[in-house]
Amino acid sequence: MFEKYLKLTAYDAVFLLEATGTSLWITLVSISIGTVIGVVMGILRNSRNKLVSAIPLIYIEPLRNSPLITQLFLVYYGLPVVSGIVLDSNTAAIITLSLNTGAFFSVLMHNSIKAIPGAQWEAGLALGHSRLSVFINFIVPQVMRLLVPQAITLYINQLQCSSFVSLIGLIDLTKAGNILNLRTMRPFLIWTIMFAIYFIISYPLSQLAKKLEQKVAFSY
Amino acid sequence: MPMIEVKNIRKSFGSNTVFDDFSVNFDQSGVTVILGPSGTGKSTLLRCINGLETIDAGDILVDSLSVKEKRNLREIRLACGMVFQQTTLFPHLDVLENLVISPVKIQKMDRKEAVDKARALLDKVGLGGREHSKHNELSGGEQQRIAIARAMMMNPRALLLDEITSALDPEMTAEVLRILEKLAGDGVVMLAVTHEISFAQRVADRVIFLEKGNLVADASVDDFFSGIKSNNERIARFLQNISQG
Amino acid sequence: MHLNFNFLGRFTQDLLQGAWLTLVISFFALILSFALGLCVALMRSSKSRVLQAMGRIWVEFLRNTPFLVQLYFFYFGLPELGIKTDPVVTSIIALGINGSAPNCEVIRAGLLAVKTGYYESAYALGYSSFQTFRYIVLPISLRIAFKPLTSNCINLVLTSSVAFSITVNDLMGVSKTIAAQTAKPFEVYIFIMLAYCVFTFIISFVSKAIDRKISIRL
Repeated sequence: MFEKYLKLTAYDAVFLLEATGTSLWITLVSISIGTVIGVVMGILRNSRNKLVSAIPLIYIEPLRNSPLITQLFLVYYGLPVVSGIVLDSNTAAIITLSLNTGAFFSVLMHNSIKAIPGAQWEAGLALGHSRLSVFINFIVPQVMRLLVPQAITLYINQLQCSSFVSLIGLIDLTKAGNILNLRTMRPFLIWTIMFAIYFIISYPLSQLAKKLEQKVAFSY
Repeated sequence: MPMIEVKNIRKSFGSNTVFDDFSVNFDQSGVTVILGPSGTGKSTLLRCINGLETIDAGDILVDSLSVKEKRNLREIRLACGMVFQQTTLFPHLDVLENLVISPVKIQKMDRKEAVDKARALLDKVGLGGREHSKHNELSGGEQQRIAIARAMMMNPRALLLDEITSALDPEMTAEVLRILEKLAGDGVVMLAVTHEISFAQRVADRVIFLEKGNLVADASVDDFFSGIKSNNERIARFLQNISQG
Repeated sequence: MHLNFNFLGRFTQDLLQGAWLTLVISFFALILSFALGLCVALMRSSKSRVLQAMGRIWVEFLRNTPFLVQLYFFYFGLPELGIKTDPVVTSIIALGINGSAPNCEVIRAGLLAVKTGYYESAYALGYSSFQTFRYIVLPISLRIAFKPLTSNCINLVLTSSVAFSITVNDLMGVSKTIAAQTAKPFEVYIFIMLAYCVFTFIISFVSKAIDRKISIRL
């Protein structure tokens, strides 16, 4: 009875699984690249040289203050026209999401480093450590505690945002929803299933972030 | 020869000049207490000696090494341990690790040796058995006692103490001062900025009084509290205010 | 590569209309997201376990599913149950509901940050518990929450651009049409990105000015 209503087959289940894989793959690759960009930019933002610390803003601010979907269209439709390089939707998606993640990550990184009291630096220096040694032994571990829960929250957010790639024709989970929807004409159920799949992936991660945040929280 | 020579230094923060042509020497023995109203450069002096602030002119020599040379800083900082007013325990490490990490990383001390030494120092500051506590399980007084032990781990020749009890309530202050008294008895050289007059009277050998970056008085503890106190009106008023506050 | 933005002049009217629609959608969605966020925050801070659980499910659900899927659910899914709204109204509702989750979280954090001392001194002055909440606790917590609320607001304006996917002709929708017509997507999207940046800079500029006026440090 229910199967008749839903009109889904085992083939569709495999199709959904593949699409889920695509969403996860795109997200995973771009958050990895984005994290590397973010760490570098975040450290540059904390430079004591005013010019060096300001330069990353040229990259960070436009990306944080404009819609991701516009950025995606710019890279996918716009870039080939002016540069002649034709990007497939996969590459365009990864480039855009990576740069976008990088911009948000650098802000997290910057704020986490800034949140460590100067007294921690001084205590380390007064014990005879070099600046580098203070950074590695005392600042980085403390930054990690602040950063990791926030980073997980950002990653979850980027997973949700990866649904935008369906708008440049990539068959991710959301696009799969569109396709099944057209075939079955059962939008209510199809989109409910989509909710369920995203939720099942995302919810445990968000709980993990919350647990970590409580566990490693410390005050100075 | 003095251990620390402060020679004609000038130090300003923006338009605020803290020291102008200021000089003083510290020998390698005894306890020196630095007194004076707030904002007269007592903390700045300690921070300049340790190279945490750069001086604008003049020079500071620690064991004849100038703080102006970057490569001397490590040796100077190892010679002068420092404890701060606010708690500076590393919050991601437990008590023992706070003590052990620096000698192991910097002086390449054997870890087991460092642990033994840390245990002995924790006993000395009355916190044996607390080695696996985290900083937020400790009272302010306990944290400061651990900070003292942590500085002692590096075998400094002198301890620079920057108002280390001023954020503590009287009971905790007393327990920290007891530890300092004990260390002074063991012959640890100290340079202490403090408002604890009774500590100065009991433990100090020499008292320095700073005001607006000038050395108003520099005397042995007996002379200071008997003679100079009554002769210098400003100092008398300062001491009176402190003992009332 | 030489860029020429002059051709955009021909589309001034379209762009302005798109921008206006973006503003309208954002404005109403903002009000909805704030009202809902406040309600859910109150549910989550209430003593009733049932209300707490409902509030929590609301927030967790919204935070752990993509906005685009939520939008499709409202636009394509609900009509199957007989609930039909036009694209603009659907976008406002979807954005408002989506935005209520982060708003709830920051308002709740604001409520939690109000120290018990304020409650006690209000009671001591003879306030009832409702009056205490209405005149003391709520104003304090909203001031604390103001800054994060404005960054949620910026987020909402940016997210509103997704509405074009259900045929809304907002700024993003209009620019997509222009990009297709002129075959100059690069210039168009760069320009649109800058336009959104201008929006968000204005919002953060104004909100910073307000924050300086009303902020309190506890």
